[in-house]
Amino acid sequence: MTLFILRSLGSRARTAISEFSYECSRRSRLSTKPNVREEGLKSETDIETYLDPLKHPDYFKVHELFTISDLFEARVHYGHKIGSLNEYMKPYIFGSRQDHLIFDLDITARHLRQALNFTAHIAYQGGIILFISRNAQMAHTVETTALDCKEFAHTRYWRGGIFTNSQCIFGATTRLPDLCIFLNTLNNILTQHTAVVEAAKMNIPSVGIVDTNCNPLLLTYPVPGNDDTPCAIELYCKLFKEAILRGKEHRQKDIDQ
Amino acid sequence: MSLKNIIFTRLRNFAPASIYCYDCVLLKHHFSTVSDSKKADSEEKLSGFAKSLLKFSESNDTPQTKTFASLLRNSKFIDLGDPKNKIVEGTIYHIVNDDLYIDFGWKFHCVCPRPAKRGTEYVRGATVKLRVNDLELSSRFLGATKDLTLLEADCTLLGIVNSPARQ
Repeated sequence: MTLFILRSLGSRARTAISEFSYECSRRSRLSTKPNVREEGLKSETDIETYLDPLKHPDYFKVHELFTISDLFEARVHYGHKIGSLNEYMKPYIFGSRQDHLIFDLDITARHLRQALNFTAHIAYQGGIILFISRNAQMAHTVETTALDCKEFAHTRYWRGGIFTNSQCIFGATTRLPDLCIFLNTLNNILTQHTAVVEAAKMNIPSVGIVDTNCNPLLLTYPVPGNDDTPCAIELYCKLFKEAILRGKEHRQKDIDQ
Repeated sequence: MSLKNIIFTRLRNFAPASIYCYDCVLLKHHFSTVSDSKKADSEEKLSGFAKSLLKFSESNDTPQTKTFASLLRNSKFIDLGDPKNKIVEGTIYHIVNDDLYIDFGWKFHCVCPRPAKRGTEYVRGATVKLRVNDLELSSRFLGATKDLTLLEADCTLLGIVNSPARQ
């Protein structure tokens, strides 16, 4: 029946449909319970070893990747001066010392855990992850991080419409990223990165490091913290890379079984 | 031999304080496993310095909980107080001709011009002494709602502490 339908269509549509059905079956293999395990379920130990990753609070154990001391040593708690505070960042601030704002690392740690868990899940499901940063000093670090975890990075000038007008810019239907990770959400001190707005418009979830002068509203998983010091950005890169690699490791393990 | 005698003989050997505590703990455990009656006797006999030494060694066993609030309270940043005119130590991490980019453990770096005196010793990795003028160069301009930051600190270079170029 399916063969008859395929033959009646043009060759281009046929390849598209076969690719689409392959993609669906590949994704469904991971998001639903595999049949092999269901048959093998005999004892209670088998039921325990099978966990639905989405129901587990920390399936990839990303909560163990960092401690509050690590964040403190990487200077994640330092913010800008009070004069450049964005009012939406007030809930994340511990206080100010001589007009310099300090982030509450307990709140930051909570947000960072959620962000890392989400990133690991996206990587587990085979999603495309895009690292975005407009900090010229850390552009190379961000690009090498993306290279190490075999994902993508964009640290140059962002042409408007890359997500919203992708058909026109790239000339063909493009697969957009499934997650955008912003290492800093500002282009310069005055303007927010266009990709934050575009990702929100295209329903692409975004994880972003927001400093005291940034707007956290359009991000799905904002992580309040320092985005100016090289050691802080290196820590974030290391954590996200580790989370992605863990997600991919589990994916490969499940595919092999 | 009671616990008290053992502690006093150790003291006479002039061993460092950390070893005292470890020895006290060891001895305490040893005596507790020997017999209950003996343990009761030895604890009753302790008084004065021996008692306080045991108490001190016991309190060292419990680790200090590192909350963010305690980390911040004990940090160098809080010790600084008002940053203006404070002396800090930094490391040169980047050089562009005569501009030295110095990192002193704060959110931002500072950029200082190379001094005329001992100019060749200011290389990457050299530690220098700085006097902080402003931790962040930001100010509000007329008509603006928010401050404009230069993402840089402002410090005066005082001198070299240690340089890899100096042999």
